[in-house]
Amino acid sequence: MPRMASSVIDRSTRRAWLRGAMGMSFAVFATAHAQLGYDVQPWVGATPPLRLDDLDGRPLDLASLAGKAVLLNFWASWCEPCRAEMPSLERLARRREADGLLVLAVNFKESVPTVRRFLERTPLAFPVVLDRDGAAAKDWQVRVFPSTVLIDRTGRARGVVRGEMDWEGDAADALLRPLLETRTRI
Amino acid sequence: MSAFTRRELLIAGSAALAAPLVSAQERRFDPQPGAWRSFETTTRVEVQNAKGATRVWLPLPSVDSDYQKPLEDRWTASSTEVRLVADPKDGTKMLVAEFAAGTTPVVELTSRFQTRSRAHDWSRKAGAADDADVLKRWLAPSDLMPVDGIVRDTAQTATKGAQSDVDKVRALYDWVVTNTYREPKVRGCGVGDIKAMLETGNLGGKCGDINALFVGLCRAVGVPARDVYGIRLVPSAFGYRELGGNPAKLQGAQHCRAEVFLKEHGWVAMDPADVGKVMRLETGEWIKDPAHPVVAPVRKALFGGWEGNWLAYNTAHDVVLPGASGGKLGFFMYPQAENTNGRYDALAPDDFKYTITARELAA
Repeated sequence: MPRMASSVIDRSTRRAWLRGAMGMSFAVFATAHAQLGYDVQPWVGATPPLRLDDLDGRPLDLASLAGKAVLLNFWASWCEPCRAEMPSLERLARRREADGLLVLAVNFKESVPTVRRFLERTPLAFPVVLDRDGAAAKDWQVRVFPSTVLIDRTGRARGVVRGEMDWEGDAADALLRPLLETRTRI
Repeated sequence: MSAFTRRELLIAGSAALAAPLVSAQERRFDPQPGAWRSFETTTRVEVQNAKGATRVWLPLPSVDSDYQKPLEDRWTASSTEVRLVADPKDGTKMLVAEFAAGTTPVVELTSRFQTRSRAHDWSRKAGAADDADVLKRWLAPSDLMPVDGIVRDTAQTATKGAQSDVDKVRALYDWVVTNTYREPKVRGCGVGDIKAMLETGNLGGKCGDINALFVGLCRAVGVPARDVYGIRLVPSAFGYRELGGNPAKLQGAQHCRAEVFLKEHGWVAMDPADVGKVMRLETGEWIKDPAHPVVAPVRKALFGGWEGNWLAYNTAHDVVLPGASGGKLGFFMYPQAENTNGRYDALAPDDFKYTITARELAA
């Protein structure tokens, strides 16, 4: 192999590593986002199940969404950063629906009337389910709101974004790309 | 024609009047355990959109100590199914009211009690003892207050070099005061879980969080500590707006303080959260230096004391509400209600429709 400048080798090595990692590691994003009010953690361990009722009492099972990439957004109406990111999450949902992305919002421990009232003021284009007793948040280790779990097309959680994020920016695009890969990995 | 407009004169005049009131040099905060003050609080609950049977739970003054004496609780309600109960485990007292379907649930609770300020005399050392089981209880983790992992790591780092329990508590008090109002790494809301607070650097949670963090850190290094959940009553006698309540409207004035058990001093008052509150909110700017003249007297006095313009409801964690279908409460200092729709959001008093007022009674 001809001698190349070390920086070129580093770049190509890094690209190869990223391709190889292919969504397995989100560590590359973590420090870059430290100043922006959110962090990204890789998912460790198994993906919990999720089966919760929507506002009309109809159950929604995460497993039934396999084939789509899912952003599982845990939120509460009293949480100002949750409310602040809703518009960009909503626009993302509309824009990327055709690509196979679904946003599923999980409300934390609020009553049906409270959530209904919020949705009347702020209609959302994606489904909302209710975690009435907080058990789902506990299963998914969510302790900060908003938290958005990034789930790939095979139904596997790959990472979680903690804190308010701009879902229409480049950083969000970079996080979504590995989820939306049509090539699914075992 | 005057060189100044009327508006400029008015602005200059009001600035001159305001200046002495915000003079940093004259701030004083020195609560002392003097005379007992008598108060009466009135909590009125009207449940909106009551569907089916409704239950309401209200905290009662349960702390009986050298700084507070509960006197009497009375109530009126649109139901006869009202009782006062005390938790057999820890004496936490509450009012429990049940309303049948078809009635509009209304309950009004009046509690009378006496309080006084606290100021620990650090020169006075006495071998203090408390029941070993009691102390074990105040070292144990609770649902929102784990004491392992990042909690223990943070506590150990902050107390490095500290020998006595007093030294450890001082180190943790100072750590909380200097760290808890820094800019969060993560813009989000916690639910009071102190591990999440430390991991995200977001230490301004929903309620009662800063002192819960202080208590968790103390427990993690072996100092028994507890939160004391209560509500502010009237303005501070020392002119600190952030350290008092508006007696005409106390919903939202709930505040949790803390206590630590020290081997040579017994249970001692602590409130680092209120130091942080003064730093963040008392003046127009966020004061980052705890030695600032506005902050320093508060920082000194809340280490070992607090002002008696506050009611202590209880020190309970993981509270079971009798007859509730919802789960345990991490803490109980807000009115709670449940009906067939589930539990009402205690932090939205307009939905839930409750008011809390106080008045001071003549000695």
